[in-house]
Parts: sequence; structure tokens; C-alpha cells
Amino acid sequence: MTNAFYQTAKEITDKGYENLSTELVSNKHLIYSSPATLSFNSPGAKGYGVKRAGLAVPESVMLLVSPSCCGRNTSLFKSSPEYKSRFFFQLLDDTDIVTGRHLMKISDACGEILESLEKRPSAIMICITCVDALLGTDMERICRKVTDKYSIPCVACYMYALTREKRLSPMAYVRTSVYSLLEKQKRESKDMNIMGFFSPLNTNCEIYDLLESAGIVNIRELARCEKFDDYKDLSKANFNLVLNPESRHAAQDMQKRLNIPFIEMLRLYQPDKIHNQYRLLGDALGKKLDDSEYFEETKKTIAEFKNKYGKLKFAVGEILNGDAIEIALMLVKEGFHVECVFATIGELNYRFLKTLAALSPETKIYSNLSPTMLNYEKDDIDCFIGSDCLYYFSDKPGIEWCDEVEPFGYCGVIDLFNALDKVLR
Amino acid sequence: MKKFLKYMSPFAPDQSGACSVFYELGGLIVICDAGGCAGNICGFDEPRWFEKKSAVFSAGLRDMDAIMGRDDKLIEKLSLAHSQLGGNFALIVSTPVPAIIATDLKSLERMGEKKLGIPCIAIDTTGTNYYDKGEEKAWYRLFERFAKESFEKKDGKIGIIGATPMETGYKNSSSLRNQLESIGLHNFVIYSMGSTIDDIQRASECEKNIVISLAGLKAAKYLKDKFNIPYEIAFPFIPEDIIKKASDYKDKKILIIRSQFAGNELRKQIGNGKNITCATWFMQDNDYANDGDVKLNGEDDLYELIKNEEFDLIIADSDALSLIKDAGFKGDFIDYPEFAVSGRIFD
Repeated sequence: MTNAFYQTAKEITDKGYENLSTELVSNKHLIYSSPATLSFNSPGAKGYGVKRAGLAVPESVMLLVSPSCCGRNTSLFKSSPEYKSRFFFQLLDDTDIVTGRHLMKISDACGEILESLEKRPSAIMICITCVDALLGTDMERICRKVTDKYSIPCVACYMYALTREKRLSPMAYVRTSVYSLLEKQKRESKDMNIMGFFSPLNTNCEIYDLLESAGIVNIRELARCEKFDDYKDLSKANFNLVLNPESRHAAQDMQKRLNIPFIEMLRLYQPDKIHNQYRLLGDALGKKLDDSEYFEETKKTIAEFKNKYGKLKFAVGEILNGDAIEIALMLVKEGFHVECVFATIGELNYRFLKTLAALSPETKIYSNLSPTMLNYEKDDIDCFIGSDCLYYFSDKPGIEWCDEVEPFGYCGVIDLFNALDKVLR
Repeated sequence: MKKFLKYMSPFAPDQSGACSVFYELGGLIVICDAGGCAGNICGFDEPRWFEKKSAVFSAGLRDMDAIMGRDDKLIEKLSLAHSQLGGNFALIVSTPVPAIIATDLKSLERMGEKKLGIPCIAIDTTGTNYYDKGEEKAWYRLFERFAKESFEKKDGKIGIIGATPMETGYKNSSSLRNQLESIGLHNFVIYSMGSTIDDIQRASECEKNIVISLAGLKAAKYLKDKFNIPYEIAFPFIPEDIIKKASDYKDKKILIIRSQFAGNELRKQIGNGKNITCATWFMQDNDYANDGDVKLNGEDDLYELIKNEEFDLIIADSDALSLIKDAGFKGDFIDYPEFAVSGRIFD
């Protein structure tokens, strides 16, 4: 039996990104299925997958056209009040797949949905899966037919797990789909959108105050749109602020269709990098954003935490609101010890890994997805961050840090340490 | 409209059923999918997953694997996992993707056995059928592949075929054992729950088999033909409180919606009257059905049944309750959770 595979940060960066070990590259081995990998195998089981994300358009409904297996876990959230009467299923059998006859029935299924609902929905989102990916279904055409027949917007959502590692992953594509119903209108100079997440940023986040200090009056987010009319106002934005690279394609699409330019920022936890981002944002807006108060408060919170608990040994997982390696890097820079990180290494976080390797070369990097994780034996840690770590270290104090309210900026860092303080107290 | 669900979510698919049968037997289980099916199977349909480690993997198929039919790559990955973890057999569970590209599962079995040197079984599930179809295939392949040798019969030993968390609603074998002991059974093996592959290999030791689900019947018939082991049908895992509550209505017009053998057992416990109709969303065998029993092919069938018959009591998983009410039902309702419908469990 092989022990759980890991390499130190230094070992990985010494070899370089082009020479990652087989165990750290997901398409070179079987994918271990454990509670720690659930977000990889089934993004919708926790948080947002394509199905739930597609319903981010207010007052819309979804028709999932697939074999029964693809819609199985919808039971998890179908009964919650915000999704009641919003999910419908058209199940495929073998003959449908062989003949493609299911495509002829989608229009009738949409008719039946409209007939069954007391209130007409704002749109019908049609979600299709690997089956139609392989059949080469032209779902855009079918959506146009539904729109023509029932005079209702109809949008395709592609839950193509087969393409998850493509440049345009299913989660990136669905972000484009949910903004695709916006129509061009006069842009307002003091309006902007925050893009990137399907749930809103923490209301206390300093970004709202900073943007207001720069003269922005209306800051909109898809997740805060309760009605379809609120949603339509998103196209009044003078610019979009993209906080998650998976929204880049949607922002590019809005730039092309609606003439709305965009600025990108990353969700980071290193205070100095957060400061840099705000400085650059201010430059882009032509206004200096004074974030010194927030910066000082953040540094003070971290220092107090460190004084209270000393140099804790952390494990950091990847199922959390942030990037595991960037959070590990922040902890190391702030004087903590990071024993191990559970992460999938990509081009973006490899940059953080290089810095981490310089500051903490012995930090172990595991891949949750490696089959050898079946034999994982716990590392010696004091505390963990991440839902996957809860699976490995259920007897240790720690936080899952994957609530639906999205942390961001200095506020996110302060909340992170306050949450840790709460469990360690 | 057939196969259109307005009220309920899709039921547990055949690949989940196949996995459930093999979950505790110590093999390497590979879901031949892109990840989503493995996520649904483990994260939703396998309640033991959170408590009991098992070597379940996704093949991690990508679009080019499907387009190019890279079976050799799958076998390489499987071989790597076997070299790291061991395992006394390998199970490959098919899903919609291999079904559509017509993966040669027999060939995968041969390639796997040759490369790994252990038994390799591939189950031709498609994701378009329900759990019981997958379980039926898995039970049959399990005994056909491993129960080959004739062992001396052991006095009074009974084999329980068909028990999985999806069928019984219990995830712990101890819960099932307690219920079997409470009806006077002591020398028994519950295949695939709290047992090992060795128990399967020694299946011929049993004097009798008890088949608790229609999915296990084909395997029981195989064991009868091969080792002359007689079988009987029973379902001794119905919670007492449900039988007790239902018995108050024994002379009323009752509809039970449950997998066939469980539904039949509940009918028997209530009194076996002609006033009791059994319906099921899953497989139904006419040899075990009474006149008037119903195979439900979709929500419309249940809607029509309730509209046309005036039942005083319905016993079913409450996931169907909004449909039942919309069909005009005014009688009483007893919630009898069915894992393959709602994912709810008793223990």
C-alpha cells in the first residue's frame, strides 16, 4: 500500500510547472472520490453547480434535459423555498439518445411548465449534459424555437462535465448564460456591477465604501437581484468589476454586446496584495482609494490573533472561499506555520506556490484527487481551514470557510481570523 | 407528458445501484464518467460514503477520451491505482458517456484482467435506468463471477440477497442484523452489507436464500440452478411503527407505493386484503403482483391512479406528497421513506 502522495512546495517548484508529478495532474490518474473531493466531482452538491447557478436569473425556471442520473442530487436543494417550483426534468431513455427524439419534445415540455405555473417565469433555462455534448445538439436553435413559440426568453446552460478542464469550463459558461438575457440600454456613469459569484459579497466588505468614495452610486450584483426588473438594470453599468476569473468570459461577452468594459481583481488574503489591488483599481477609476484604515485594522486583527495563539500549525484545504495556496502564503507571511495544503495546482496559483516555496519550502502539498489519499494519515496540526480539511481533521479545531456569503478584501481577512478565534477560544 | 417530472426529482440511477452492491467488498470501483456521476453516486446515493472508506474513483473522462475512445488510458490509470492501493477485484461501472460511445465493456474486462491480474467486472449501466436495474445486473455478475466452487452445506445457514442501503433504507448492517435476529434468524449472511467477497465465494454453504428485492431474484435463481439452494421472498426490514400505523386502516382502501417486495410484505403485514393496492416506480414482476397492482411509469400514472381510485390511505415516500395532493387525494398519508426516491435513510 502506498502512502498518500505529497511533495513539498520546494520539490514542486524546483521541477517547475511543466513537470508536475502524475499524482498532481488530475487527468493522469483516477479521481479519488471522498467527501473531500465532492466539490470537484459534483460542484452542485455543495455550493453552486451549473443547475443552481443557471437559476441565478431572478424568477426563472430550469428544465434539465438528461438521463435521470444527472438530476439526482437536485433533491438536495429543490425543496428549499427559493427553488420551489423552479426545477423541471425531462428524462431521457435509450431510444431518445439513439434517435435524438427528445429534442422534439423540449418545446412541449416548456409548454407544460408554463401551463403548470401560476405566475409566468422570466425565462426558461434549459440545462443539458454530457449526453448532448456527445450528440452535438444545437441547443441554441431549440431555445430560439421555444422563444418564438411561447414568447419567453430561453437560454441554454451546458453542464458538460467532460469539458471541465477546458478554457471555457461549464462554470465559466453558465456565468455567460446567466448574463446573456441583458439587453443594451443607456449606461449610467455612476453605476457598476460586481461579477464573479452567485451569492452576494459580505455586506460589510469595505469595497462598497471605497467604490462609493470614488463616486459610484449604484453597485449591483446578480445575487442581489430579487426581481427580473432588477436584473435588467445590470446593463446600465458603466463598468463591471470581475472578482473571479470564471466570470471573465461573461464580462467579455458583455463588453462585446453591451459595450460595458470590465476591470479584474482577485480574491486575495494577503493584506499587502489587497492594498495593491485597491491602488490599481483607484488608478483605473481615476480616483485614489484610501484603504489605510482597513489595512491597519486588518494587520491589527492578525497581530492580536497571533499574540493570543502563537505560531499555530495550519492545514489549508481547497474547498473554501479562496485559493488554498494563496491563503497558505498569507499565513506564512504573517508568521504562522503551514504544515500541509490540499490543492489542485494550476497556472494561477503556481505563482503563489513559488513564493510559498521560498518562505516555507517544507510545506507539504497534497492533491485531494489522488487515489493514494485513501491512505492519508493525518499530519500534526493545530488548526485547519477548509471544508475538505474537516474530513481529514475532524478531531481538530478549524473552520470550513465556505459559507454562501462571499468574503472579499480586508473584511474577508478579518472575518477569517475572527472565525478562527471563535473555534479556538 | 411521459418522463416529465414536475413534482419530484429523478430517482436513484442504475449506476448507483451497481455501486451499492459492490461498495463493501474490498475492490477498486471505477465509475466510468467525467466526474458528475461519481459525485452523484457518492455524494447522494451512497450513505455509507461519509463513514466507511471505499476505493471508489471517477475515471475522470474528458471530451477527447470520449471522442477517441481511449480505453487503454483508462486501464493505465486503473493499473496505477491498483499498484498503489491493491484490491481483490476491479469493478468498472458504465454511465451515459461510455453507453453513448458504445465502449466495449467486455474488452475492458479482458484488458483489465490481463493488466492487473485480478478479476475485473464491467457493468453495463447507462444512467437512463433506475437503481434496481443496476443492482440486478450487479448481483448477478457478483455471484456468477465469484460463487463458483461448491462448499459443504452449513446447517441452517441462510443467505440474504438484495440488501443494500438503497433497497432497505438502512446503511448499517447491524441495523439489519438486529431485525433479522428479532424474527428468530441467527445463522445468516447479509451479502454485501457487513460481509466480504469470501462470503460470496462461499455462497454454496447456505441451505436457503432469502431474497429481499426483485433485483436480487436473478442471482438467487442462478444460485438455485448452480448449487440447488432454494429461495424464498421476504422483506423483514419494514419499521414497526409504519406497520402499526397502517394496521389501523386494514379494512380501508389503501395504496402502498414502494419497491415490489417491500410493498408486498407491508400488504401482508396489514392483512393481505384485496383492498390494498401496491404500486411501484421500479421493476415489477407479474409473478409477484396481485390483480390491480400498478407499475408507475411516471408522475402522470400516479396522478391518474389517485384521480380514478378513492383511496382512504396512501403509504409512500413524502416526496410524492405534493403530486398526491394535487391529484385531489383527501385521505390519510403515512410517510414511508424510500431511499431511491428521496435519499432519506432510517439509521
